[in-house]
Order: sequence, then structure tokens, then C-alpha cells
Amino acid sequence: MGEIGTRAGIAALALLSLAVATSAAGCASDKATGGGADAGAVSGDGVKTGPGVTATTITVSALTDLTGPYASFGKSQTQAQQLYFDQVNAGGGVCGRKYELVVRDHGYDTQKAVAAYTEVAPRSAAIAQFIGSPMITALKQRVDGDRLLTIPMAWATTLLGSRAIQVTGTTYDIDMINGVEFLTKQKGVRSGDKIGHLYFEGDYGESSLNGSKYAADRLGLRIVEQKIKATDQDMSAQVAAFKAAGVKAVLVSVGPRQTASLVGVSLAKGMDVPFVGSNSAYSPQLLGTPAAPALLKDFYYVTAGTPVSVKNPGMRKLVADYQAKYPGETLDSGVASGWSAAMIVDEAMKKACEAKDLSRDGVLNAHRSQSSFGGDFGTPMDFTFFDKPASRSSYVLKPDKAALGGAVVFREPEVSELAKDYPVPVG
Amino acid sequence: MSDSTPTAATSTPATPTRPAYRPAVLRLPARPIRAALWLTVLAAAVAVPFYLEGFWLQAGLFAMSAAIGAIGINLLTGATGQLSLGHAFFLAAGAYSYVYLSSDLGLPAPLAAVAAVAVAGVCGGLFSPIAGRLKGAYLGIATLALIFVGQHVLFNAEPVTGGFNGRPVPPMELFGFVFADTPELVVLNVPFGSLERLWFLGIALLAGAAAFARGVLRGRPGLAMNTIRDHEIAAGVMGVPVARYRAGVFVLSSMYGGLAGVLVALVFQQVVPDYFGMLLSLDYLAMIVIGGLGSVAGAVAGAAFVSLLPQLLTRYSDALPLVAEPGSGGVSPAEAARILYGAAVVAVVLFLPGGLAGLATRLGRVRLKELKWAKSAPAPASRR
Amino acid sequence: MAVFLELLVNGISVGAVYALIALGFVVIFKATEVVNFTHASLLLAGGYVIARLHPLVGFWAALAAGIAAAALVGALVEFLILRRAHVGSRGVLAIVTIGVDILLTTELTRRIGTEVLALGDPWGDRVLRLGPITVAETRVVALAVAAALIVAFLLAFKFTGWGVAMRATAEDAETAALMGVRLGRVSLSAWAVAGALAAVAAMFLCVFPTPGLDRGTAAAAMKAFPAAILGGLDSTTGALAGGLIVGVTETLMSGYQSELAFLGRGIGDAAPFLVMIVILLLRPSGLFGTKEPARV
Repeated sequence: MGEIGTRAGIAALALLSLAVATSAAGCASDKATGGGADAGAVSGDGVKTGPGVTATTITVSALTDLTGPYASFGKSQTQAQQLYFDQVNAGGGVCGRKYELVVRDHGYDTQKAVAAYTEVAPRSAAIAQFIGSPMITALKQRVDGDRLLTIPMAWATTLLGSRAIQVTGTTYDIDMINGVEFLTKQKGVRSGDKIGHLYFEGDYGESSLNGSKYAADRLGLRIVEQKIKATDQDMSAQVAAFKAAGVKAVLVSVGPRQTASLVGVSLAKGMDVPFVGSNSAYSPQLLGTPAAPALLKDFYYVTAGTPVSVKNPGMRKLVADYQAKYPGETLDSGVASGWSAAMIVDEAMKKACEAKDLSRDGVLNAHRSQSSFGGDFGTPMDFTFFDKPASRSSYVLKPDKAALGGAVVFREPEVSELAKDYPVPVG
Repeated sequence: MSDSTPTAATSTPATPTRPAYRPAVLRLPARPIRAALWLTVLAAAVAVPFYLEGFWLQAGLFAMSAAIGAIGINLLTGATGQLSLGHAFFLAAGAYSYVYLSSDLGLPAPLAAVAAVAVAGVCGGLFSPIAGRLKGAYLGIATLALIFVGQHVLFNAEPVTGGFNGRPVPPMELFGFVFADTPELVVLNVPFGSLERLWFLGIALLAGAAAFARGVLRGRPGLAMNTIRDHEIAAGVMGVPVARYRAGVFVLSSMYGGLAGVLVALVFQQVVPDYFGMLLSLDYLAMIVIGGLGSVAGAVAGAAFVSLLPQLLTRYSDALPLVAEPGSGGVSPAEAARILYGAAVVAVVLFLPGGLAGLATRLGRVRLKELKWAKSAPAPASRR
Repeated sequence: MAVFLELLVNGISVGAVYALIALGFVVIFKATEVVNFTHASLLLAGGYVIARLHPLVGFWAALAAGIAAAALVGALVEFLILRRAHVGSRGVLAIVTIGVDILLTTELTRRIGTEVLALGDPWGDRVLRLGPITVAETRVVALAVAAALIVAFLLAFKFTGWGVAMRATAEDAETAALMGVRLGRVSLSAWAVAGALAAVAAMFLCVFPTPGLDRGTAAAAMKAFPAAILGGLDSTTGALAGGLIVGVTETLMSGYQSELAFLGRGIGDAAPFLVMIVILLLRPSGLFGTKEPARV
């Protein structure tokens, strides 16, 4: 009897507690907004505000990788952005408000990235840095739905096609097309030749491969593909395969470690051909490894971002300020790309402020109204469309031990004939 | 409910001055207290989505999914003594099957979820010829193959899995009620998005999974499994069909993995192959050790600890001492979480046999089962 | 043909490094029947010490220090944690080693940070040419060292007191203890030896053709698992055989991936595990492992 009685009692009590809990929620919860959370309010100064914007602050988030495979890149970017926003704040901020940068490290882990996004998105006005194309792809729909201006630090074509996501500069495939054309124009690769392409599994590699295949097709070249994983370290087998195929040049869309192994092994085995990498294939740290001589001899990389060794006024100031604030830290391409992404967000905020609308839609509209952004930190960008890369012009850079950031300009930025007409696959 | 028996049994060595009626005295308050406890838990669980923001709900949902998966592996590793490093594969099997069945084959969502759990079970069943042939450490490492081969398939079978980027997950739909952000729903002035709605589904699934596993562990199968763990040959001699039991537990544990996979996919809204890697499997093993081997409560406690810790540390990194701002060079929140979690595994085996669940029971009252467990683990002598 | 030979030689040379890692697993399993997941962090520890010390004291002294340090870490893990763990089964001890590994790896990768550390080895990027085939000198040395170490271990197991104690423990720990074998010492020494082996393996793992030690290095230890198990977890010969099989399989599959495109790109990573499963189905205790007669 006790059994049944207790069970019935439990059920009754459960229902009761449910009723109590829910009705309490109705009056006490912060969440009880009646569903109109992001309807937009107007702050005292007549500026329409949205999530992440109060009367005194604008919250900007960075979802970055500080403990995973892209830690070195993430660290430079985050520090550069911190520096940027600190400087803007010191100069009085924007729209009478100060920036607050919220940094979340996801360690290149999709679950952590999704969790971090869920946490910071409701209180952010923009995401100035989001590392990792698998993480962004997983969240693409939500970012789009949240209309939250997001600057991904990945350049795959799969990230195009969303109004809220602004891929900066060129995509990987454009870089590869420009790279292949560079090989034919300046490195003696001719129609009928084979060129190797070593690429990572995933967006980065596949996007790059799309570009190289397109260019090879147009120029009468043949691509020898080798796909690897980020955990592979020793490229001996791949070099053997390239060598056996008799490639005249190799395109490199992998991480810095694999680049070092590839170029080093190739040269040691007597395969002395030019290597052309994507911007993520190189990092100045490699010049401290035994592969340095080989890299200095044969390696080039293609990118839309201006290297930190270029002495234009903006870059000079950035380098000086960065070195003053973070003495002894490596100056890699992340410093410039992080800075430039922070600038994009800042410009959008300024424009949105002029229109007195800092709501998410206001920020997005302001951002999408700019057609020639750029200058000192990269090739000019057009933000008015979101189904094409913002730029099609890339530098060719070469590693250099003496230079800041370990690279110098080998060829000034150019849009190749092929890249101009290349139909970019979207989404 | 048979838990009054052990209570009575343990209290027998009471002082002779207070004879037989004592257990009854103990029993009377026990039940209302337990009922009240469960009620509080239930009320809290119901109230949570009305108060806490998305971050907490999502963290909770990840923990619930982890708890379901951990219950599964605790049946296999904790109760039956079979090390498995392949649990993440079964989560992937569940998650991807759900997506494939509901978006490509057009099954209704609940049916697709049930079928996905079945598919995970079938995968376990297909592996069990190997599981039946191999023992101990060999089987443990052989299950690693599931992870690596599984990842290879996930990355390459693009028409089904979507390759590197994975696929979007269609929302669950029960009797016309959609577990997604749209259509909008407002309950008692609180906007109910997908996380709020999934919260209740998660609670229900976890409760069901826990109750079923509890039944298995407390009944004859549980005894048989423990006997296999403690002495396989003796179990066989005593008439336990060892091979059948081992295969059965393997399948059951895979199905729990599959269910956890379906839930985590629903929360993620996108399945990506990267997630279902080696680290996830190791996390599950750490969960059951930290929580307590062989018990449902242990699995749940361990899952909560392991899955909430990094999220909490990351979120409150600004406020915590010792943990540095990300990127400033000190111990970052992610690293602090990993260190704490590694340390927890070590600390549990050194100081807390029975894990968090064991600690809770010891603080409460001593039960026969845990006594037995502690007895069966006099460390150095049994190690060879 | 030249390609095949080149790949084969490269595979054998990679396999030698895997064999060295696998040997560390085997020594611990033989002495204690514990699957040691801490091996990855022992590798990192050894490599880290070598990388940090070589600019100060030169490569050979740094190598010696690295070996000593990794041996010490191994011994400490055994002495402070595994010996005192209150667990019911060796399966649980394996999980404990996972915990220890997470702890050590996190701290070491934090120290390594974002750097790629060179080890300052004397071989550099020199290669040996055998007709059309080239192979890195470091790998030739690795193969020689692996073979020499394995012969040394075979002899030591047969002829030294330590080896006999270890074999007796592996056979029947209780009886061995009754006969006066100190189980604690056997297990402690096994962990120290495994640590030393890990440092040697780490050295070969981080020199040319790979660019250096970084936070990803520990992942390579995973590849030694199929190597150790398909040779037989308690067989030193098996470690060598397993290492070579894994190395050759992986290299051939990667090198011929264009021809094997129907298996999916990147099959090189999964292939060793498939080979492992096939071998285990045929021989449940690996190629050279000891069979357990009990069958229920």
C-alpha cells in the first residue's frame, strides 16, 4: 500500500512543483520578456541599439583558438585586436561608447565553439574574429539568423553566401589561381606540365583544390593530388609520389609544419621545384627549424594580406605599437589580419553610428554599404555583395629571415586574368 | 524498489542494546526524504529553462547527452569490465543515422531517432564478433580502430555524411511540436527557443535511460555482468553465458551511445565528423572513473563534471584567480579545465575509490554494494 | 617499381620510429599488464627536455638528459600514482594512465606554446642515396637503433636477473612474488625503461623529415598502438614487426592514394587500423603475443 500511496503522492507533488516553478518564472525571471528581446531599443542619445550595445559600451567578441593547432595565429590576432580596441577607446571610443572585447578560446573544438557562441552571441554587437572553418560552418545558419556581423579567420568558399559573415580578402581558390598563373608566368611552368597539390582534408584544402583545378584546366596543366590530415607530420611518402609523377611545381594548402616537412624533404631528395602555398601554409616560426634553408630557397606564398614587413605608414605604426605593447612576440600575418578585421568592425560601427542605428541590422547595413575598404593592410575589398570574395588580388610573398614577420613581397598584388572571370562556388 | 534491503542489511551490526526495530526507524524517514529530494530535483529541472540563459541550457544539454553516453559505457566498462575506446564511434553512428534517416529517407523525426539508436546497436552487434574473439587490453585497443576507420568514413562518404563540414540536423518533432527556434513560442512570458524546448526532451531521455540501466544493473543481468568483470572464468563455470552477455552489453552500450549522439546532434544543429574523435572516447572513460564505475549515478555525476568544467572555467575566466586571460601566457581556462580533469581522474583513484557517486553514498549512508566494491579493490595485491 | 621501392624504404624507416614507441608500450605491458596511455606525454617530456637543453649543452648531453628525465617521469608516474591507485582492474588502470596523460600533455603543450622546437641533431637533412631511392639519414639511424634496442631487450629478458624477474612477473605475479621477486621494483623499472625509450623515440620523431617538436607531436603516439598490438602486446619482436607493418602500410597507402582513390582520400591514417583488425581476427593475441588458453 505504501508503495502505491507514495507513488501517487510523488506524482501529485511533482505536478504541484511544476506549477509552482513555472508560475514563479512568470514573475521573477529575467528571461520573462514576453518574447520581444531583440525588438530594439532607443538609447538616450537617440541611437537605436541592439544586443551588445548599451549606453556606454559596445561588446565585440573574438572566438579564437589559443590552445589548439592554430594557437600561434590566434594569439597574434587576439593581441592585435585588443591593441586596436584599446587604442580606439583611448581616443574616445565610438559613438560615445567604449569597446569591450570578449575573448573565448575554443581550442579548435567544435563543441566548445558552439558553446562559446551560445554564450557570447546574445551580448555581442559583432564578432571580430572567428577562427576555424569547421566551427563557423557548424554555426553558419545561426550566425545568419542572428544577423550578427562576423569576420571569419578562414578563407574557404563555403563561408560565402551569408549576409552576416564577411570573409576578408581573397578566398583560398582565388589565391591558388593567382599562384598557378604566377608559376606559369615567372617560374617556367608550361602547358602540358604536371603540378602537385598537397592539401588538407576539409574546407581549406578543398577550396584551394577547386582553384588549382580550375587554373590547371584553363592553362593545360595536370594536377597531381595528395590529401593529408592535420595530424600527419612526415611528408616523405607524398614527396615520393610527387617525384615519381615528375611534377614541375607543388601547390601547398596545408599547415606550416607539413609545409616545412614537404619542402625540406623535397629539396633533400633532389626535387628542386618551386612551392607555392596558401596564406595558412606558412608561419615565421618555421625559419627556426632545420627546414629553413629549403623554404628560403624554393617557397612562395600567395595572400591578399599585406605582410608586416611592408613599410607603409599604417603598417609601420601597427608594428611599432604592437612591439611596444607585446615585446618579443612573433610578428606574423595574424597581427595584420587581426588588426584589419578589428578595423572592419570598427568602420561598420562608425557608419552605423552616423545612421543612428547600432542594432544588428543597422550594423550589417552599414557594413554592406562599403565598396572600397582597404589600404595599408591588404588588397582593396568590396563588401557590397556577399556571394563573391571581397577581393581577387593577391600578393606573392617570399620567406626572408631578416624581415619583420619572416616574409617580404616578391610580387606586388595582381588580379590574374583567370581569377577575374573565375566563377566562385558559393556555400 | 529494493533499496530498503541493503539498508537493513548494513545496519545489522548495530549495538545489541538496540535490536531489530532499528531498521524500521531508519526506513520511515528515508522514503519521504528521498521523495522530497527527487521532487526538488524535478522542480528545479522544470524551472531551469524559465530562469537560465541559453548558455546554461546548452551546457546542461551537453551534460545530459554525455550522461546518457556515460551510462552506456559504464555498463560496458564499469559493470562488465570491458575497456572500450570506441564509444565516440557509436555516438557518431546515432547522430549521423538520425540526420540521414530523417532528411534523406524522410522518416518522421521520432521514428528516425529510434531507428538511429537501433543502427548504433547494429553497429555494436557487427563489431561484437571481434569483441567476442578478443579480450582485455586487445579488445580495448581494437576498438580504437572504430574511431579511426569511422572518421575516415565520415570524412569520405560525403553523400551520406556531408564530409568535412557535416550536415545540418533536422529538428525533432513530436506530435506536431517542433523542437526548434521557429515557430516562436512564449511560455509564461519566457521566449521558448530550441534550447528551452530540448531541455525537457533531454530530461525525459536521461530519466528513461537512467531508469532502464538501473533496472539492468540491479537485476540478474547486473549480477552476471559484475561476475564477468570480477572473474570471467568463474562466471562461465557458474553458468553465466559469458559470450552472449558480453555481446549483449556491447550492443546495449552502443545503443546508449547512439541515443547520446542523437541528442547531441539535436543540440548542435549540425553534425561534424571532427567532434566524434578519439578525445571524446577518452572523455567518456574519464567520466565514469571520476563519477564512479559501475553505477548509473556515477556515470551521471562524472558526465556533469567533465562536460561542465571547461565551459564554466571558460565563462568565468575573468573572475577566477590562477586562471589567466586567454592569450596572456598563463594557464588559460581551457588548459586549467584539462589539468583539473586529469587531476580529478588521478585523485579519484588515489583517494576516492567509488568516485563522486561513491563519495555521495559514503557521506550519506553506507550501502552493501559499495562496501563490496571497495573490498574488491585492494590495489597493490591484485596488480600483476 | 622505383616508386614502390622508394615508398617501401620510406615505410620501413617510418616504421622504425613506430617500433621504438611500440617497444615502450610492450615493456610496460609485459611487466604490469597495463595499457599505458601516458606514453604520448612521456614522448613529449623527453623531446621537450632535449629541445630546451641542446642549445646549452650540445645535442648528446641533451639527449642523455632527455632520456634521464623521461625515465624519471615514467618512474614517478608509477611510484606516485599507479602503485597507489585503488582500482579493481587493469582496465581501470589504463583509464588512470589516460588521466595522467591529459595532465602531463596539457602542461607540456602549454610550455611548448606556439613554437616549433628544433632538436639540434647532428644528422640534419642529409639523405642516403641507394640508386634511385633516397632515405633520410635520421631514419637509417632510427632503424639501426630500434633493431639494436630490440636485440638488447631480447637478450636482457633471457639472461639478466631483471629480465627473468620481469618474465616471471608476466607469467604469474603472485608466484613470482612468493619466489622473492619484488613486484614493485619490476614495475618501477619497467616504467623507467619505457620512459627512456620514449625519449629516444621522441628524438627520432622530431628530427628531419619532420620539422621539430611542437604541440602536435604527441598525436604520433596513437599510431604506435596498432603497431604494439598487432605484433602482440607482450612481445618485443612483435613491437618491431608491428612498427614496420604500420609504417609500410601507411606509407604505401599514402603514396598510392591517387590509385586507391576509391577507398577515399587520406586512407593512409585508417589503413593501419584495418590491418590491425584483420590480424587480430586471425590471431587474437597478435603475431607474436602469448595466447591465453582460457576459453569460456
